[in-house]
Amino acid sequence: MKLLYSLVLAVTAFLVLTGDADGQKRQSGGSTLGDKVQQLVDWNAKKPILRFNGHKFKEYVKSAPRNYSVIVMFTALQPARQCVICRPASDEYTILANSYRYSSSYTNRLFFAMVDFDEGSDVFQSLRLNTAPVFMHFPAKGKAKSGDTMDIQRVGISAEAIAKWVQERTDIQIRIFRPPNYSGTVAVIMLVAFVGGFLYLKRNNLEFLQNKQLWGLLAVLFTFAMVSGQMWNHIRSPPFVHKAQNGGISYFHGSSQGQLVFETYIVMVLNGLVVVGMILLTESGSQSDMRKGKLMAIVGLVFVVVFFSLLLSAFRAKAHGYPYSFLFK
Amino acid sequence: MTETLIKSKNPNRVTSHAGISSLIVFSVLLMCWIAGFASRLFAVIRFESIIHEFDPWFNYRATAYMVQHGFYKFLNWFDERAWYPLGRIVGGTVYPGLMITSGGIHWLLHLLHIPVHIRDICVFLAPIFSGLTAISTYLLTKELWNTGAGLFAASFIAIVPGYISRSVAGSYDNEGIAIFALQFTYYLWVKSVKTGSIFWAASAALSYFYMVSAWGGYVFIINLIPLHVFVLLIMNRYSHRLFTSYTTFYILGLICSMQIPFVGFQPIRTSEHMAASGVFALLVAVGALKHLQTVLTKQEFKRLFIFGGLAAAAVVFLTVVGLTMAGVIAPWSGRFYSLWDTGYAKIHIPIIASVSEHQPTTWFSFFFDLHILVCTFPVGLWYAIKKINDERVFVVLYAISAVYFAGVMVRLMLTLTPVVCILAGVGFSGLLEVFLKEDQQPVNKEETENEEPTEKKLYDKAGKIKPRKHDSNKSENKGLGSNVKSMVVIAIMMILMMFAVHCTWVTSNAYSSPSIVLAFYNQGDGTRNILDDFREAYYWLSQNTNDDARVMSWWDYGYQIAGMANRTTLVDNNTWNNSHIALVGKAMSSPEEKAYEIMTSLDVDYVLVIFGGVIGYSGDDINKFLWMVRIAEGEHPKDIRESDFFTERGEFRVDNEGAPALLNCLMYKLSYYRFGDLKLDYRGPAGYDRTRNAVIGNKDFDLTYLEEAYTSEHWLVRIYRVKKPHEFNRPALKTDERVVSASEYITKKTSKRRKGVIKNRPTVIKGKRTATKEKTN
Repeated sequence: MKLLYSLVLAVTAFLVLTGDADGQKRQSGGSTLGDKVQQLVDWNAKKPILRFNGHKFKEYVKSAPRNYSVIVMFTALQPARQCVICRPASDEYTILANSYRYSSSYTNRLFFAMVDFDEGSDVFQSLRLNTAPVFMHFPAKGKAKSGDTMDIQRVGISAEAIAKWVQERTDIQIRIFRPPNYSGTVAVIMLVAFVGGFLYLKRNNLEFLQNKQLWGLLAVLFTFAMVSGQMWNHIRSPPFVHKAQNGGISYFHGSSQGQLVFETYIVMVLNGLVVVGMILLTESGSQSDMRKGKLMAIVGLVFVVVFFSLLLSAFRAKAHGYPYSFLFK
Repeated sequence: MTETLIKSKNPNRVTSHAGISSLIVFSVLLMCWIAGFASRLFAVIRFESIIHEFDPWFNYRATAYMVQHGFYKFLNWFDERAWYPLGRIVGGTVYPGLMITSGGIHWLLHLLHIPVHIRDICVFLAPIFSGLTAISTYLLTKELWNTGAGLFAASFIAIVPGYISRSVAGSYDNEGIAIFALQFTYYLWVKSVKTGSIFWAASAALSYFYMVSAWGGYVFIINLIPLHVFVLLIMNRYSHRLFTSYTTFYILGLICSMQIPFVGFQPIRTSEHMAASGVFALLVAVGALKHLQTVLTKQEFKRLFIFGGLAAAAVVFLTVVGLTMAGVIAPWSGRFYSLWDTGYAKIHIPIIASVSEHQPTTWFSFFFDLHILVCTFPVGLWYAIKKINDERVFVVLYAISAVYFAGVMVRLMLTLTPVVCILAGVGFSGLLEVFLKEDQQPVNKEETENEEPTEKKLYDKAGKIKPRKHDSNKSENKGLGSNVKSMVVIAIMMILMMFAVHCTWVTSNAYSSPSIVLAFYNQGDGTRNILDDFREAYYWLSQNTNDDARVMSWWDYGYQIAGMANRTTLVDNNTWNNSHIALVGKAMSSPEEKAYEIMTSLDVDYVLVIFGGVIGYSGDDINKFLWMVRIAEGEHPKDIRESDFFTERGEFRVDNEGAPALLNCLMYKLSYYRFGDLKLDYRGPAGYDRTRNAVIGNKDFDLTYLEEAYTSEHWLVRIYRVKKPHEFNRPALKTDERVVSASEYITKKTSKRRKGVIKNRPTVIKGKRTATKEKTN
């Protein structure tokens, strides 16, 4: 890789040096194809993504002599533009461009570029773009077809998805190489160190580890998280709440196939209250003070019955045609 | 159950006490068995005694083969009818426990001169084993807690939908017997940890052997038991009992499990099993240290412990890492790996992600499968932790790991269900013990409970739930305490009753469909219609095609074609060869001429597709089509691209706005051939697809390389014959230019063959066998 890199540098340096005189002459009146490619390769040696403003965009992407494709990301990275998705999209795009730049399939047939709204708003106007980010492919020959704009809604913005799209459009396969993510490992090591240090500091007083209440609470909370479908949320990442059809907010997903994040929290709390009720009921028997025991029994009973009925009616709302209910419809 | 609790607490008659309580235990378990058996019979009563779905058909076929040819033939069985042209070594790629169990029952019954067909044994095996599961759950819970909790757990597991879903009559699958083996192994393990006897540990190993022979889920046991031992060691609960039971269990279980051909050397070579051997080494090391502690002085021991312990740990760790690097120990397999890294399967293995059982679980499915148990089993977990001892550590770990796995994969709800039943049993029995105890000391309680002024208000609160009880409370001042208790008892009983009703409803509505016979009810009069298209088509195949005909279909139907039609298939539900499946997917998603190349290279004679557009059956091949494309794309990214099958707006649609690649691919053409002429409704347009609610986009097309051979009554199954090269390579003559030789015409004159009629045109009459059986080649 290094070798290739330095080779490219050497060749470009040579070309630049020899071609300088010619290039100087033509600079005023629009550049030739060779110059353009050379310039792009030059820039690319420094940065994987070429940053275009309006003028450069016209010269290198729009104007005629061209034998290379360009993938352009139109984006708005300035914080003032308040584009939430632009930053992660740009990061993914950088990963893709880097993977391409340092891969063996790197040629001067394909370049990755970006246009920021604040640097080239005229480009946005001329392409009639109202949103960001947009990924567009400008093929070497012919006009851009409809498929040359990537459908972010459908495929997403991950580097793999963009790579797949690039492959469809240009037949250049790019293997995504993500810089290994050490944050997870670091977090685990930090946590282990923290816990270890904590235990070491308290080594003379380790009774709390034998606190059954603590362990019981942890275990029960874990089961609540699982049975209320937090793992589903983690894998599928559903929205927090829905916008209902009548304009309000709906907290429950209408079908049994999906769920909303808020809904799972409600279910978790209901489950928890039923369990608290059951425990109160059971504990009421072993109270020495009978009055307290009775109070606990009644509160526990109300908890169990009411919150279980609520849970059941939530279930009923999702299962269409479920015939049974308890207390509440 | 409540009776049991009352009576087991009755101290009056000491002599008859044991007798009565064991009678009650016996009758409750018997009733569990009967109730569990009965509630699994919906499918048999509604339809008939029939094998369900997909995988059971293979198990049935293998069982029938074993019964017919004997066990050794079965172990050496090379099935040339599957995975054409590769074939499949069945004996080495199945868990034979299921076949051996039902074959053994068959052998025993025939020994007693009770002639039962093997199919009936297969159909009723899972319901019968559900009773055994209930009993072993009772035994396990009794070891962990007490008899009352055990009876609760047994009656829960007899009817809980999470287990019924895999064990209705006719669903003849590994899980049906494996859950019994799982529970029984755990029971024996807990027993052996409690007693420390080699007898129980060896029994646990034997039961584990049965489990290994029955289901791939044995990996759960061989990881959970070492985890139990490991946690016990961390908790400083090492004992000689533990040492004896684990070492015995591990060694015997290891040797036994390697006797199953399909498992082979996996227990010593794959990462899934490494935890068990690691814990074995650790336990031996701890045992040795404990012994040395008694021999050496404190100073010596300390030095030995630090140096020896560290060195041993480093050596073990390096050995495992080295062996993994050298490839002796295989890394985690994809299915197991996707349990930890939850995003793994979606990106890397579409064939795992495509199975709906491998999706994560919503709270809805938890509640659907477990109902009240899902919100009461944490109570049992809480008390198990509060009153912890050696064996309760086990049930806590069981619950936590199973609930995690069930959250990741819907399918593993099955392993969660037993422990949920155990812990919910613990919770309910603990609760009812409190509230049914009052018979013992009624006097005491009434005294203390009488004088409470604040009680009124609280009673009002509770009284809302049960107004009638509330009235009776007011009228009699004395029995307040017992009223609270009876109120609680009644409420709990009502909730439990709702559980029973829910279970029956779910079983009846969701889990009792054989899925090869479909039923639907008319809107008006509620009469039932049966759609028997699958069996109709498979029967046609078996009667009208050559014995060695090769049928191409999507892998879902491979087992059924082999089991019912007895024809050779290309791919089936044993998805061991992804590239072969991708090849079929590629054929299905290519245009006709390209598909023909693939089909001739695979010697395909018939193509079978499932089409639900006529009756609105949603599980048909067009709806599964995107998975075919994805799997094909995974292997052939140059030829098949998923995005070609979407419209520009990214929609998957079959009407005239659909993507051209979709409208011209083989699957589309085979599904919709002649469908454009069909008017389902007098008012509606022709070619209206009821499943996707659209008029199809490509109506007028002919098939060049295939011809329609058979279409079932409701068009659910469509079978096409792949033409031989000489059949379509003939010069195309127009109808009026064709000359039929006179002599042949005279000799073969029938009512059908008149001059001017094309000879080979398929005359397909719905619901009947076609007349095209006699082939021209």
